[in-house]
Amino acid sequence: MSDVVVIGTGADELVAARALQQAGHGVTVLQEHASAERLEGWAPSKIGALEAKRPDPWLRTHDGFQLFADMKRSVESVRRLSARDAERWPVFCERMAKLGALLEGIYLEAPPTLIDLRFALKVRRLGRRGMEDLMRVLPMPAAELLDEWFESDVLKGALGALAVRDVQQGPRSAGTAFRLLHRHVGSPSGVFRQPVVDVAPLRAGLTIRESKVARIDVHGGAVTGVSLAGGETLPAALVVAGANPARVLGQLVEPGWLDPDLLRAVRNIRARGVAAKARLQLERAADWQTLTLAGSLDDVERAYDAVKYGRVSDRPIVDARADGAAVDVHFQFVPHTAADTADIQARLMKILQPHLPPIRNITVQAPVDLERVYGWPQGQPHHAELSLDQALWMRPLPELSGYKTPISGLWLCGPAMHPGAGVIGAAGHNCASAILRAA
Amino acid sequence: MNQHDVIIVGGGHNGLTCAAYLARAGKKVLVLERRERIGGAAFSEEVFPGFRFSVFSYVVSLLRPEIIRELELPRHGLQILPLESTLTPLANDDRLVQWSDHDQNRAELARHSPRDAEAYDEFGLLLHRMARAVKPLLSVAPPDPASLDPRELFDMLRVGRHFRDLPPKDLHALWKLLTMSAADYLDEWFESEALKGTKAASGIIGTMLGPRSPGTAYVLLHHYMGELDGVFRAWGFAKGGNGSVSAAIAAAAQAHGVEIRTQASVSRILVKGGRASGVVLENGDELHASTIVSGADPRRTFLGLVRAENLPADFVAAIQRYKFRGASAKVNLALGELPRFTCMPEPGPHMRGAISISPSVDYLERAYDEAKYGEFSKRPYMDIVIPSMLDPSMAPPGKHVMSIFVQYAPYHLTGGWTDARREEFGDTVVNTLAEYAPNLKNAILHRQVVTPADIERVLGLSEGNIFQGELSLQQMFFLRPAPAWARYRTPIHGLFQCGSGTHPGGGVMGASGRNAAMEILGVRA
Repeated sequence: MSDVVVIGTGADELVAARALQQAGHGVTVLQEHASAERLEGWAPSKIGALEAKRPDPWLRTHDGFQLFADMKRSVESVRRLSARDAERWPVFCERMAKLGALLEGIYLEAPPTLIDLRFALKVRRLGRRGMEDLMRVLPMPAAELLDEWFESDVLKGALGALAVRDVQQGPRSAGTAFRLLHRHVGSPSGVFRQPVVDVAPLRAGLTIRESKVARIDVHGGAVTGVSLAGGETLPAALVVAGANPARVLGQLVEPGWLDPDLLRAVRNIRARGVAAKARLQLERAADWQTLTLAGSLDDVERAYDAVKYGRVSDRPIVDARADGAAVDVHFQFVPHTAADTADIQARLMKILQPHLPPIRNITVQAPVDLERVYGWPQGQPHHAELSLDQALWMRPLPELSGYKTPISGLWLCGPAMHPGAGVIGAAGHNCASAILRAA
Repeated sequence: MNQHDVIIVGGGHNGLTCAAYLARAGKKVLVLERRERIGGAAFSEEVFPGFRFSVFSYVVSLLRPEIIRELELPRHGLQILPLESTLTPLANDDRLVQWSDHDQNRAELARHSPRDAEAYDEFGLLLHRMARAVKPLLSVAPPDPASLDPRELFDMLRVGRHFRDLPPKDLHALWKLLTMSAADYLDEWFESEALKGTKAASGIIGTMLGPRSPGTAYVLLHHYMGELDGVFRAWGFAKGGNGSVSAAIAAAAQAHGVEIRTQASVSRILVKGGRASGVVLENGDELHASTIVSGADPRRTFLGLVRAENLPADFVAAIQRYKFRGASAKVNLALGELPRFTCMPEPGPHMRGAISISPSVDYLERAYDEAKYGEFSKRPYMDIVIPSMLDPSMAPPGKHVMSIFVQYAPYHLTGGWTDARREEFGDTVVNTLAEYAPNLKNAILHRQVVTPADIERVLGLSEGNIFQGELSLQQMFFLRPAPAWARYRTPIHGLFQCGSGTHPGGGVMGASGRNAAMEILGVRA
C-alpha cells in the first residue's frame, strides 16, 4: 500500500522517490513520459553513485582548439591562440572555481532566502575579492565577463555558447555569466562543462507504473490522491510532482484551490525551449568526443537574434558529443514554435557533416517533439528558464521555492525547482529532505 | 593658508549641488568649470537666432524633492511645467495616447486592449510601491559589504533592515525588476504592442541594452521614480530649458557664498603624500584646498586628472573596466510650423506632451540589434518634446523648437563618427519621423545633430554616456563606480567624487552631489 505518489520519472523524481522509500514510505512512481537515460550534469556523490563520463578534452572547437581537465595542457592550448589569454586562463579559472564552490554548497539544500543571514555569512567567507566577484559576476553578461579577461574570439565564443545553452538569451544579455558558473558547479577548476551521466540505475528498486495523470485529487485543501487517465484513482497522503508547475498547479489541480494571483504567476513562469536535439548513428566512430561549433561571441549573439523574431538561426550553435559511433547533438537557437525538423536537419548537416564520417541514420527532435516525448514545457529541459529572476530564492516562484505548494501534501520536485537541471537529482533530493523535515 | 576649503572640479548640476550644500554648512567653496558656461549636460542656449534649446538633457523628473526644498530652488527661478501626455503614433494612422487624466487614459487603453486597461492601474500601483521601496536608498552613501569597519557594518545592517522590513512580496517583485528584461516584465502584464513598446522604451533610455536584455526592467523603474507624483511617467520641463535647473542650483550656491569660475579647465589634481592638496589649471595656475571633489566621470577623474601612481593598481583596473558605451543622440530642430502627425493631425493638448516613436518591443529590439554590431539604428527609437508649446519664449512667435532624443547611436560606430555620418544619422531620424508627420521635412528651418562623440567632445562625458557610466546591475549601488569606493570617497585622502558616476546615477537627480556633500561633512543620511 503506497502512501506517496511521485509523478514523473526524471532524475529528480527518481531521487525524491528513493529518498522517501528509504525513509519508510510506500512509494509509487508514475511514468508519464519517456525519460532520458543519459543526462548532462553534475552528479553529486551525496545523491547517489552514478557513472559520469567526462570527455577529455572537454571542449573542442571547429579549428581544433581544445581545453582539458589538466590545467597545464589547457594553458598550452590557449597559448596558441593568445599568449595574454594563456597567462590569464589559470587566474580566471581559480576565481570562478571559488564562486562555483559557493554555488555547490547552496545547490544541495533548499534555496537561501533573499535576506538570509546564514547565506550572507557564507558570502562573506569568500573574502573581499570573492565577494566583489560574486556581486559583479552574477548579474553580468557572459560576453562582458569574457571580454574583460580574454581577447581570443575562439575561446570567448565557445564559453559564451556554453553560457547561453537552453536559455532564450544571447551572451550580451545580463545574467548569462551566472549560467556559465552554473555549468561549472561540481567540475574541477578549469572545466566549464558538466559530464554525461547514466541515470538509468536510479530506477532500481522503485515501483514504476506507466500512466498519464488526469487529476490530482484535493479535498479540503489537502491532497487525497491521483486520478489516472484510465479512470483509476490512487489514494495518497503525499503527491510529489516533477512535472512543470504550470501543469501541476494550472492543469492537474482544480483551479478553485489556488489563489488567482499565484495562478497568474505560475502561468508567467518563462519556459521557452530554444534548442533541437539530434541523434546520429555513424558508420564508424568519429575522431572526437566533443565538438562545439559556435564561432565568436558576435556569431553566438547573431544566432540568438534570430530566435527573438521567431526564426531558426542561420548559423546556429552546434554542440555534439560522441560515444563511439553514436552522436548526440544540441542545436540552438530554434524557436519553440518551429516544428520543421527537415529544415533543422538540413541546416545541421551543412554545419556538422564536414566533421563526420558517413552517417547511417539521423533523428531530429524540434522543441515541440521534446515537449511531447519528455514533457518539457515548450521543449525547455529546465521547465523554467534558468535566469537570475527564476533562480535561487526566485525558483520557480518565491511562493514555491520551498518545494511546498499551498495544497497540503502536494510537493514539487522537478527541474523547475532549485537548483534546476544540470545538477542531477538535486531538486528531488532537496524536496525529499523538505518533506521529511516537515513530517 | 588656502583661500578655499573645497575645490569642486566641474560645474554640472551635481557639482553645483554639492557646492551649495557644502557652502550652506559654512565651507568656502570654489567651483571650476572648463566651459564658458555652467550646467554640464543640463544647459540651454540659443543655438539658432531666436530658437532656444536644451541641447542635451531636456526633461526633469528625478531631481530630488529634498534638493528643491532645501536649496529653495523655486525661489532661485526654477519652474517646472508638467508634460501631460505621451503620444505613440502607430502604422495605419492609429495611435496610443497615454493621458495624465485617469479616465481619459483608461478609455484610450481599452480601445487597444480592455485587458490592459484593467491591468494598468494595478501595474502603476506596484511600480509606485517599488519606487517608494527604492527611494530611501537614493539618498544614502552605499556601504561596503566586504568591510569589517564598524561604521560600514552598521550601515550595511541598516540597508539590510530596510529590505527586511519590506513585505516579502515587494522584495521579490523588486528582485524581478532588477533581474528581468523590460520586455519579459511587461509581457506578464500587458498584451498591446504599442503600450509595451512605449513602456519598454523608458527601460532602455541611456543604456546600450535592448528591451529584451535582462536589467532593463530596473531602468524602467528608475524612470518611474519621478516625484511629480501620481502621473504617468511624471516628467516635466523646466521653464527656459534644462539650463534653468543648473542656473537655479548655481544661484542657490552663490547665495550661500560659492565662487564659480568658468573657462577654468583643470588639467591635474595635485596629490602630496597620498593626500589631495589642490588642482593645476590648464593655464598653469595652481589652486590649493584640502578637499577636492570631482564631478567629472570616473574615467576622466582617475585615469585623466589623477596620476596612476597615486592609485592602487586594483582600483585603476576596476575603473578601466567600468563601462560607458554611450548609446544616445539628440536631434534639435527649429521648425517654421508644428508637425502634423497623420494619426492626430489637429493641434491639441497632445502636442504639449511627449511623443514616442516606439510602436512595439520588436521595433526597439531591432533598433538595438543594429547598434549591437556597431551601426546606428535605421529606424530608431525617439522621445520627442516640443518645448515651445509649453514655454513660448523658446522660439519666435508662431515658430517652434523640437527636441528629439534618439536611440541607438552607438559611440563605437563602425568607422567612427564623422561629419558625413552625423548628417546621415540626422537624415535617418528626420526620415523616420516624417513617416508619421509628413509635413516635418518642409517645416525644418535649422537642424542640430548631437552624437555621442559630440557629447564626449563638448561635455567631457566619456564615450558620450549621459549617465557617466551604464546603469547596469554590476555598476550600481555599492559597485558604482568601483567596489569599496562607492561612498563618494577615493583611495586618495581628501579627494571625493560627486558626479553621476557614483550612486545613484544619472538623470538630473542631483542625489550624487547631495550625498557626496553629506559624506564630506560627515552627516549621516
